[in-house]
Formats: sequence, C-alpha cells, structure tokens
Amino acid sequence: MSIEESAETPPVTRQHRPRWLETLTLLARNPLAIAAVVVLAGLVFAALLAESIVPRDDIFTPDIANRLQAPSGEHWFGTDELGRDVFARVLAGAEVSLRVGAVAVGISLTAGVVVGLLAGYFGRWVDDTLMRVMDVLFAFPALLMAIAVLAILGAGSTNAMIAIGIVYTPIFARITRASVLSVREEVYVRAARSAGAGNVRIIVRHVLPNVTAPIIVQTSISLAFAILSEAALSFVGLGTQPPDPSWGRMLSEGRGFIEQAWWMAVFPGAAIFVTVLAFNVLGDALRDVLDPRQRSAMKGVGA
Amino acid sequence: MARTGRQRGGRGLAAVLAVAVLAGACSGGEDVDVDGEGGGDGGEGGSAGGTLIAAISAEPDQFDPHKTQAYASFQVLENVYDTLVVPDAEGEFQPSLATEWTTSDDGLTWTFTLREGVTFHDGSEFDSADVVYSYNRIIDEQLANAFRFASVADVQAPDPQTVVITLSEPTPALLSNIGGFKGMSIIPEGAADEYDLATEAVGTGPFTFESSAAGGVTLAAYDDYWGDAPSIDGVEFQYISEPTAALTALRSGDVHWTDNVPPQDVESLADDDQVELGTTPSVDYWYMAMNQAKPPFDNRDFRRGVAFGIDRAAVTEAAKFGAATVNQTAIPEQSFWYHEYAPFEHDPAQATDLIESAGAATPVQMGLMVTDEYPETIQAAQVIQANLAEVGVEVNIEQEDFGTWLDRQSQGDYDAFMLGWLGNLDPFGFYHAQHVCEGTSNFHSYCNPEVDDLLGQAATETDRDARKALYDQAAELIADDVSYLYLYNPDVVQAWAPGLEGYEVRADKAINFESVRLPE
Repeated sequence: MSIEESAETPPVTRQHRPRWLETLTLLARNPLAIAAVVVLAGLVFAALLAESIVPRDDIFTPDIANRLQAPSGEHWFGTDELGRDVFARVLAGAEVSLRVGAVAVGISLTAGVVVGLLAGYFGRWVDDTLMRVMDVLFAFPALLMAIAVLAILGAGSTNAMIAIGIVYTPIFARITRASVLSVREEVYVRAARSAGAGNVRIIVRHVLPNVTAPIIVQTSISLAFAILSEAALSFVGLGTQPPDPSWGRMLSEGRGFIEQAWWMAVFPGAAIFVTVLAFNVLGDALRDVLDPRQRSAMKGVGA
Repeated sequence: MARTGRQRGGRGLAAVLAVAVLAGACSGGEDVDVDGEGGGDGGEGGSAGGTLIAAISAEPDQFDPHKTQAYASFQVLENVYDTLVVPDAEGEFQPSLATEWTTSDDGLTWTFTLREGVTFHDGSEFDSADVVYSYNRIIDEQLANAFRFASVADVQAPDPQTVVITLSEPTPALLSNIGGFKGMSIIPEGAADEYDLATEAVGTGPFTFESSAAGGVTLAAYDDYWGDAPSIDGVEFQYISEPTAALTALRSGDVHWTDNVPPQDVESLADDDQVELGTTPSVDYWYMAMNQAKPPFDNRDFRRGVAFGIDRAAVTEAAKFGAATVNQTAIPEQSFWYHEYAPFEHDPAQATDLIESAGAATPVQMGLMVTDEYPETIQAAQVIQANLAEVGVEVNIEQEDFGTWLDRQSQGDYDAFMLGWLGNLDPFGFYHAQHVCEGTSNFHSYCNPEVDDLLGQAATETDRDARKALYDQAAELIADDVSYLYLYNPDVVQAWAPGLEGYEVRADKAINFESVRLPE
C-alpha cells in the first residue's frame, strides 16, 4: 500500500511548489513589502533586545539635571522632562507597542475566527445569535468602545490589550464567516461530510485552511490598528502607566513641551508612523499575493 | 470639632481648603510681583470699558458658594460674592461687608457693624438678617464649611446693622473662618429657596452673574456696587484645560488673563514681551501620604525610611521646574506661622536601614495613587519611584481620574497618594482637619494623641506667640511621624496681556478683577 501510494503522490507535490513558498516568492518581488518586513524585523529586534541595547537606567531613572537636552551624540533623540533618554525610551516603547499589538490581535483573532467559523458553518440560529452580538460590538466606534471597556476594567496595559482585543473581534468574525459561507458549499466539504467526517474535523481540516488568506491580511492590518489604539489609549492616560515607555504616552507628555523640546513628541510620533505604515504596507502586499485573481496575474507577469 | 461637613468625597474637596489668618496675624506675605502699574487704585472713571476674558483650567462644579469646594468655582465667585471681612494681599483682614468689629474681653463675643447702603444683585437691601441666614444655612445643613463654625454657639442680629457672634471657646481664627475665602459668602435671606444657587448667583460683589454655558461663564459689572464700580463692562471666564492652549490663546490675544501656565514655560515667559508674568510664593503645599491603616505603612520607622529615601529637591524640580520651594512642613517660609524644621535629608543608606528594621520583606510593594487632573503628581511620582527603588520599596504608579481618585481616598483603598492642599492661611487650616485622629480630612488614618492635644490647645489659644509655639511643636511631631510627607510649596503663576492694569497676584490665589483696566 505504501509503495503504491508513494508512486502516485510525489508527482503531485513536485508539480506545485508549496503554496507558502510561492506566496513568499511573490511577496519578495514587491520592494515595498521587503522594506516593510525589514522595518518590522528591526522593531521586533528592538523590542526583544531594548533592555540589553540601552541601559535600564536610561529608560527609567530620572536625571533632573539633564532634563530637556536637545539631541546630541550622547542622547541621539535628546532627553525628556525627567532627563531620561528619548532614544532609549522609543526603543523600549517598541516592546510595549508590539506586545500590546500582538496580544490584542491574538485575542481578537482567536475569538473572531472561532465565532466566524461557528456562525458560518452552522448557520441558522447559531449564526444569528453570534453575529448579532458581533454587530452590537461593531456598532460602537472602536476607540470609544475601548475607553468604555477600560472604564470598567481600570487603566493599564494588560487591560488595554483586552479592550483592544474585544474591539477588533467583530472584524475577524465577519471576515471569517463570509469566507466560510462559500467554502462550506464546496464539493470537497460535501465529500468529507458524505465520507462520514464529523463537524469538528470538517471545520478544522477542510474549512479553516481554506479561509486563512483574508484572515492573514486582516491580521497585518489589525496589528497596525491595535498599535495605533494602544497609542491613543496611552495618550489619554488609560493605556500603559508611567513610568513604562509607551509611544502614545510619550507623545502626550511631549505635547506640553513642544516649544522647548520638539524631540520629545517628534520621535515617538515618527515611531508610531513608521510602524503603522509598515504593517499597512505589508497587509496590502499580502492581500495582493493572496488574492487568487491578483495572484495569477502576478504569476503571469513573473513567468 | 463636633460639627463637620458631610460633603466629604465631593469633587475638589482636596483641591480647596481655604482658611485665612486672623486679623493682623500675618506679617509675612512676600511682596506681590506685578510688572508695570501694580496696586489696586480702582478705576473710578468706568470709561475704559470692555470685557475681560480670563482662561481658567477647570469648569466649576457648581456656583453655590456654601457647597462647592472646587477652586474653579471660587475663581468665578470671588468676583460675585462678598464676605464680612476680606484678607488683603498680605493676608491681613480688612473690612468688607462689615466696617468694624469688636471682641469682648473674654474673647467669646464678637460684634460686627455692617456696611450701609449695600444691595444684592436682585435689588434687595443687605442687612444683618442676611448674615444670620447665611451662617445658619452652613451650620444647620452641615455644609462643607460647617467645621469652621465648630466653636460658634450662636449668631444674632440685634439690629439691622449689627451681628453678634457668640463663641463656646475663644477662636483666634474666627476672622479667617468667616472671611478667608468666598465659601463663607453672604447670600440674601431665603435665597436657597428662591434661587437655584447651584446655577445662579446673587451676591453683593462688583460683578453680577449673567450666564453659564458649557464653554464658560459671563459676569457683568454691577453698577450699584458698594465700592468703586469696576471700570470694565464685564468678565468672561473660558475653560481651557490644556496649559499650552491657554498660553497660545493669551499670546494671540484671544484671552487677557490666565492662571493655566505650564510650569516649564515660566522661565522663558519672564523675558517674553508678549506676556506679563506674575509670580508669588503661594500658601499651597503638596505632599505624599501613606495609608497608616495598612502594614507596613502603619510603621513609623518604615515611613521615616521613605522620608529619608526621597530626594525632595529632585521631586520639586521635576514637578515645578523651579517654580516651587522645598519644604518639610506645610506652612511656607513667607508666613508668620512658618517653622524652620527639616529633619530629613536624602540619605538612601539610612532609609534602607529604617525600612529593613521595620521588618517588612523587601522589596516592599507600594501603590502610589496620582491623577492626571494634576499632572505634576505624575511627574513627581516617577522621581519618587526611582528614589525608593534604591531603598527597597517598589512603587507602582496608579494613575486615576480625579473622581475615582477621590473615591479611593475616602474609602482608604490605597497604599499612598500624592496631592496638595490649596489656599490655607491660618495654621488651623493647614493642620487640624488632616492630622487629628478623627479629622474630617484625615484620610490616611494618622493618630497621635499628643498631636491632637497640641492642635486642640492651639485652636483656642488667643496669644499669637503662644499659639505659634503650640503649632511649631505639633508641626515637628507631624513631620517626625511622617503623617504627611511634605514636599514643596509651589509658586502662584499667572499671566496676562501687556497693558492690563490693576491686577495683583495673591498668595491665596484669590482672583479679583474688580479694579482691572484693559489694555488700550
């Protein structure tokens, strides 16, 4: 049996290179996407290593004698109103932003995809119930909703992750459900069902793998939104608490010093801008290569 | 202190506790720094006219002078209401609605002669019945300032121009209690039933209350004012919470005056000819308090360790950019009641010893509650956090909105907090309610019977020097026990358009536009 099969299977895999590899190859042809990936890799690197690159004291310990110093060789981005190094804090802020972004999107991704799969696959009352709940969540402006959640849970970066996670759940639920609705009618799903596969097996093995493309794109874009939301919440004092460096909070603190120390607001602001732009560009590029129609066009051009 | 306000927990209660010195008690009072023509020779002519636009940082919670405790409300009410006596810029009491007063030999009977020809803004005549009504309203309804009448046995009006206050014990602070700030204003008899005082105001002051909207309050000059009528036509208060925005509005000429000046701009504004800057040391103080109902903060050695661990100079500089004076007691240097006492210096080694000897496992976790209503608390807290990290205390900064902050404070749901008390003049206001065991503002559960005893004696001691000696002793005990960990006295900083005349910056932060003339 194994001999028979091995004779038959290899040609199939050789004919088509693995899909993910093909996706990466296509992605690599887009210079913007490469730039975005490089920027994001740098940020992840900064986030993971911030505390070993710059001394912890530079990030946290006030040094009043050296407050509001302009950018110089010693302090690349200058110092803030308590004399802390702005470069060190921007670097350390990457960790806060990416962690909040990743955990928040992780929450909304998990919750949203589960809800979308169940609603789309089972339809009827399951669909109605779950999606109406999602509609209610979706009806609130995202930031107001997050502020309301934080008003209940209390301020802090952990609660900010939860709040942002809740706010972006409906988007994932809707996108997943929409794809599931078409996939569940596919022949291979019916075939699996007539072969006796259970619902769980069908959802996990046959439906989920075929709805991932839009979810991946949405994940990248949501990361951008989540980081922006964290910055906004920290700006109004509900997110990351002092003295932890958060770009939003640094921006808010820097606002009062814009005449004396432009660097306090400009550098964290630039960090937010670059990060959000990178995630958006990557999301766009991913959409281009994951969309089947775009993809065949790109392959045609490339070949 | 049998009578205490039941209005505790209200917004801004910690923001304002204005008590003033008794007559002639305060010789201190740094000279007021007013550029150009200072002083208050009021505009008699009334020809200049125009409406003064003033930017204040917060919106008044209400306009009932007997109920509000918010500084923003008093900024407006200062110009609308009068009290029997009024502190001058040096903190000495001068006649206002009362023209003169006498005290009986035993100090228990005070007789006030009232000014004639005074009318309220609704046209009614002012007489002694209005005074009795106003004071009894505060006492009977147990309003926010009822504690200031704790020693008042009776208020009588033998004739329309005379009010007699009978005391149960000598009260040297009586004038400051009835005239220290506009919380003790005189309202017309029956006004509480006739008007909605929370949204209207009927006083005897130089300006009438015209309207209040979401963006601000409008006042108009009162032509029948008993003093010199204002030379300006009116005052418009605008609420601008963002200091940089207020300063920009002043620079661009949109407003004439603001007290919402970012501390970091003070230095540069001194040389700025687009703006006149007025500063004077204030009678406010800022402090940190630890919750003594909770271990290890109930341990005196632990608190003393914290006091040695904090670098007050750095905290002060971080919070106020030089516009403040470090102090280890409440009362500022300029006051007669100032007592030079500074037992703590920044000494991490001694701090560590004391904290370890207190027996708690280090690092000790300590939540420090701050509020963005007062951004200086957030900046100061970060310095305190770094200081205490060196001596085995891990500070977690808890930033709350002020409403939540006040709730947690009154419920004792905190480890430590930082805030200030504003506008005190008499030591009674500085120390009593905060540090006696059952004090109405003793939210940190401090209790030292010896302090109670000293403060109790001081409240009734009529000899000024003897009274000061009692307060000095109490202040030392309070500082030694670290009931409050005093940090600094900030400066009053206000700014106005060049050419605005007749305004003076005051240590008690009373804002009076009565004799102001607008620039051409």
